[in-house]
Amino acid sequence: MRRPETRRLWQRWLAILWLMALVAAGTSATMLPLPAPDAPDLRAITQPPLTPSHWLGTDLAGRDILAGLIFGARTTLLTSVPAALSAALLGTFLGSMAGYWGNSRLRVPAVVTGWLVILGAGASCISLPTPELVWWLGLAVLGGLALWLATRNKYAATWPVPVDKLVLLLIAFLTAIPRLILVLALAAVQEPSQLALLIVLTLTYWPVTAQIARATMQRIRHLSYIEAAYTLGLPNWRIIIGHALPSIWNSIKVTLPLGVAALIGIETTLSFLGVGLPPQTASWGRILATARLDPTAWWLIVFPSTCIVFTMLALRQITFSSQQE
Amino acid sequence: MRGFLISRLAHALPAAWVILSVIFLLSRGLTNQPTEADGSLAGNLAVHVTTPTQNRLAEYALRKRRGLDLPLFYVSSRATPASGGVAWRWRWNGVHNQYHVWLCGLLRGDLGRSFRDNQPVTTLVSRALTCTLPLTIGAFITIAGAGWGLTLLLAHYRSIRPVVVTALHFLQTLPLFVVALLLLLLLANPDFLDWFPAYGLARPENSTTGLYQLLSSLYHSVLPLFSLVLVSLPSFVVQWHNALQQELKADYILTARAKGVRPSLVIRRHALRNALLPAITYLTDLLPALVAGAVVVELIFALPGMGRLIAESAAARDFPVVLSGVVLIALVRLLAQILADWLYYQADPRIKLEA
Repeated sequence: MRRPETRRLWQRWLAILWLMALVAAGTSATMLPLPAPDAPDLRAITQPPLTPSHWLGTDLAGRDILAGLIFGARTTLLTSVPAALSAALLGTFLGSMAGYWGNSRLRVPAVVTGWLVILGAGASCISLPTPELVWWLGLAVLGGLALWLATRNKYAATWPVPVDKLVLLLIAFLTAIPRLILVLALAAVQEPSQLALLIVLTLTYWPVTAQIARATMQRIRHLSYIEAAYTLGLPNWRIIIGHALPSIWNSIKVTLPLGVAALIGIETTLSFLGVGLPPQTASWGRILATARLDPTAWWLIVFPSTCIVFTMLALRQITFSSQQE
Repeated sequence: MRGFLISRLAHALPAAWVILSVIFLLSRGLTNQPTEADGSLAGNLAVHVTTPTQNRLAEYALRKRRGLDLPLFYVSSRATPASGGVAWRWRWNGVHNQYHVWLCGLLRGDLGRSFRDNQPVTTLVSRALTCTLPLTIGAFITIAGAGWGLTLLLAHYRSIRPVVVTALHFLQTLPLFVVALLLLLLLANPDFLDWFPAYGLARPENSTTGLYQLLSSLYHSVLPLFSLVLVSLPSFVVQWHNALQQELKADYILTARAKGVRPSLVIRRHALRNALLPAITYLTDLLPALVAGAVVVELIFALPGMGRLIAESAAARDFPVVLSGVVLIALVRLLAQILADWLYYQADPRIKLEA
């Protein structure tokens, strides 16, 4: 029986090794001497593993499983990892904005808003046909008048922007529906493509990061070093970027592998359901989907499942070991 | 209590309305583009035996029947070429637009008709629900019961803890469709163990009794239920277990032990109730998650349920059906959240009911 520390270290190195192998396989997929993942070999249909020229067997259409797995790793690297990163960036930005500005700290001069409204009204007036022009003009004049009155009042010279409320509202909208259903409905709307899937995954996953960033920002905003920076008269953006973001990033960094794992789960599930990625893109989920046509072909289930499970376990292992440090 | 309910609904209903409107406008707006309509509609018509004029007429009739000939929203903008660029012209369409018609129908409980077979969506949805509801409710009850039992077991027997917790962490990493496929491979495989049917529902036969039919449908839903439970149970038990361990360190537990309460009673009567709060959060998140999980499970086990209906109509761009599925799930989520707050109050009366 090894000591727990040694075992943990061993597990950690195993996890890192697996992820590095995955990255290596994904990046070198096009250079390896493999058949294309969507090219059928009609002489070898539903071959079990260890047949010559198809080490891990073929599926019902004669596609090579090994090539599918390696190109699937490439798809995962090109979809889930960028999506997790961009979701983390977007979430950090919106969450820290919400945490820093709160509901009343960011104030916009009312004059700016007024000019924007008047300009917008004017621009739409120009493009409108004559009878409605009068109507819009009246509206613009009324709005301008109201704004002028508002700006005359000394206390209303600036308007607070409820950043926190707005971000929370956005999060509430996005979490009102389970993520899988939302992604399914959104992915069905557009043409399947890798970029579209990336955008959809980013848009649905950022609330997780945003909530962490917001909570951390709210906690550290009242710490003395932030107050000191504020008292020194540093501009807000320097406080946010130079002083607050490093400590926020520390708490985001830990959850990043879990985010990648969750997004791999969604990506493979979507490919399994046949939504999201274009049909010729290789993916672990797609190999598993072909297994439904031939339930006795165990290699169609075992190999991709092993890849998914190992990747998930490795990502979790890295998360936990970095939490314990 | 009533004030709480009203204020919760006042907060949650606008959120549901906005997200549904966004999905409606996105789906209709993107499919209303002429190229899209050409592609999807021309496939239904015999293109090569008709003249282009007939094609256009038939397409127009189809669009009219689906209500797609109306403008999309109250206001529409159109780019017109003007001198030195493009001018946007805004037009007020009045209430004769797709959004208004859809919203009024929704308020009346009329969800429209399916694009694919022109059946009323309410019929399709209610038929699918008769299959999904028993599955999800069964899974929910099983998860709650098994989670309770397993948490108590873990609290009582220290020795099994490392093994069980490791196993739970392992199960937690598996995506649902992998679990379902592995179960199929292990337990419904003619080459290995052929214990359970691989797909489908029980066939209704006239000659058999009601009890036999009930048993048969139970037998058919073992694997779907089991895969839903296997995926959702681990995180539930892990959370509840951690909360329970935290509670067992509290001072009142020490007091209870010091006055000589039996260890099992300390856990069940004293600690478990206080550890209930995270469990309630999880259980209410579970209801919509089960509906989403039903998508995968119903596809794999070929059950004609809600999740499969949503997935298939999403793939076929049958938007009235997808939208009503989303409406239904958002409503379930809403009710679950309100229920959670009420249960919080029941579990811990110190918590104030506020929106």
